[in-house]
Amino acid sequence: MKLYDSFRSALQSLVVNKLRSALTMLGVIIGVAAVIAMVSVGNGASASVQATILNLGSNLVTVQPQFGNDQGLKGAGTQAQNLTLDDMRSIQNQLGASIAATEAEQGTGRWQVTAAGQNWNTQVTGVTEDYPTVRDWKLDSGEFFTTSDLNLNAQVAILGTTTAQNLFGDGDAVGQTIQLRQVFGGDRSGGRARILNFRVVGVLTTKGSTFGFSRDDQILVPLTTAQHVLTGRLNIVNAIVIKATSSDTMDATTSDVNNILLQRHNISDPASADFTVTNQNDTLAALSSVTGTFTLLLGAIGGISLLVGGIGIMNIMLVSVNERTREIGIRKAVGARRGDILTQFLIEAVALTGLGGVLGILLGWAITEVVHRIPQAANLPLLITSGTVIIAVGVSVVIGIVFGLYPAMRAARLHPIEALRYE
Amino acid sequence: MNESVVQLRGIAKTYHIGRDITVNALRGVDLDVRAGEFLAIMGPSGSGKSTLMNVLGCLDVADAGTYVLAGENVGKLSDDQLAAIRNKHVGFVFQTFNLLSRLNAIENVELPLIYGGDRHARRQRALAALEQVGLGDRIHHRPSELSGGQQQRVAIARALLNDPSMILADEPTGNLDSRSSAEILAIFQRLNETGKTVVMVTHEPDVAAHCKRIVRMRDGIVARDELVPHPRRAEDEIAAGIGAAK
Repeated sequence: MKLYDSFRSALQSLVVNKLRSALTMLGVIIGVAAVIAMVSVGNGASASVQATILNLGSNLVTVQPQFGNDQGLKGAGTQAQNLTLDDMRSIQNQLGASIAATEAEQGTGRWQVTAAGQNWNTQVTGVTEDYPTVRDWKLDSGEFFTTSDLNLNAQVAILGTTTAQNLFGDGDAVGQTIQLRQVFGGDRSGGRARILNFRVVGVLTTKGSTFGFSRDDQILVPLTTAQHVLTGRLNIVNAIVIKATSSDTMDATTSDVNNILLQRHNISDPASADFTVTNQNDTLAALSSVTGTFTLLLGAIGGISLLVGGIGIMNIMLVSVNERTREIGIRKAVGARRGDILTQFLIEAVALTGLGGVLGILLGWAITEVVHRIPQAANLPLLITSGTVIIAVGVSVVIGIVFGLYPAMRAARLHPIEALRYE
Repeated sequence: MNESVVQLRGIAKTYHIGRDITVNALRGVDLDVRAGEFLAIMGPSGSGKSTLMNVLGCLDVADAGTYVLAGENVGKLSDDQLAAIRNKHVGFVFQTFNLLSRLNAIENVELPLIYGGDRHARRQRALAALEQVGLGDRIHHRPSELSGGQQQRVAIARALLNDPSMILADEPTGNLDSRSSAEILAIFQRLNETGKTVVMVTHEPDVAAHCKRIVRMRDGIVARDELVPHPRRAEDEIAAGIGAAK
């Protein structure tokens, strides 16, 4: 029997029972659509998290002070104040060309900022000259401060776009002066204020937000200025960030940084290090394992509906075989072999699931499009990958074969005499 | 003498119903059918004629004995091999027509060619077969749009398609009125005159009287095997307007 004839017979019987075929297919359509939609949401979430991490800069190795021990309770003590700008310079000198760049940071807290009659409250952070390289963050206008600004504790500032917008509107911020104010001693009327003038030398490009925190609302000043003028915590830094030359060299860089700091801090046992070195790859891996589990879970929920759809196929195929016992008898009487009957019913089941799979993909795609229209999910990239589509169609065809096989085998095994006698 | 189309020797068949009831449907049947014969198999219910028909049609396999059909020993063949034999050598005509209701006349007639034989020019051959039974103008009608007699003629056309060694008809007129019965018998007689071997199972003596030879079954064996000296002519009966008396 030619495959063409099998297809014709199968499609004919599906067309005859249009409503039944459609309803049966619906189970597969919903199942496939659920898998597609859910996996695409999962993939989207995963991609979104990854993009957020990489938004902080790529190939980063971060050193942070370890929390001290308090009577044996790890992490219970105060944060160690032992990571210094000298550590950073030492890493910079020793690793040289084997890393892309490095910078150190010290947070100075929030300040009230005034300029041109406007005022604004924002975060001020001291950073070093290679910050733009490390963070993959260019300037919209102006120039980033230099090593000489750091040496001079120059009172210069770089503004985030939101900050610049709030202080200067659409006007040019570069070259303007801003005042950082800190009120201390008593309430607003009786208190005394410290007022520090900073000259704006640059404005950063827009970066968006990370985990809900806007990164465009901040002021960057030279690290030494932050230490000497704003906080008084000399030499101390909150973090040293090293940018590796590529993703592949991150492990080597991590271990180099570790060794340099252990040596500088005179620590022989790495377990008692007073700092932690975090590799961005590890963070990404941990997060992608979380989102992967999430995607798998969503896919499994879709998979269950697909399974239910498959059982529906089996059910309907069993009914169909039963109903068409006589037809099977007739076909056998005129010379149909077992394989012919098997093929016919199997193709019927696969046609149902295959077509259901294709329609399910369209429905799944439609669902992701609708989800896209929901404002809360607008930022979520919804990814229907070719892999998802191939798997969905493949799985629905396999479901057709798996759930169609038993009914088809029952049909093929029918004895012609009994089948012909069937009323 | 013409060559043997069917040669049965000592055919026995036992059915088991439930655990301990056994029915000896056939108890040693010897039968020869030669090419060009028009044979009726008669007998009361339980005589084994249906079982014999199933064995002849290769729908069932005998427990004992040998069966040579058109020179091939079909006694010990697998299901699929039997299917191929049915396709090639046997043309079935059933009491209930057994047409596929989804398919139109010509598609029903084409059915055997889907499963074997010369696939070339399938449609033309089906059309020729339908014209042979006088239904050339009804090829696109569904079975439900045809009368009983017309449906049976479609079934005969289907049986003819692979040019089988034998046409096996099981009570072909059982569901038809006298007029249609006579028309069907006339077609069988016409086919027989062109050399086709026809074996017909019936319990109606009036129908059997149109055959050239009658085999009577009783209790699983051939009880009588006789030639009909002057078979009735269905054509004449139609012309006389009486049909095959029932």
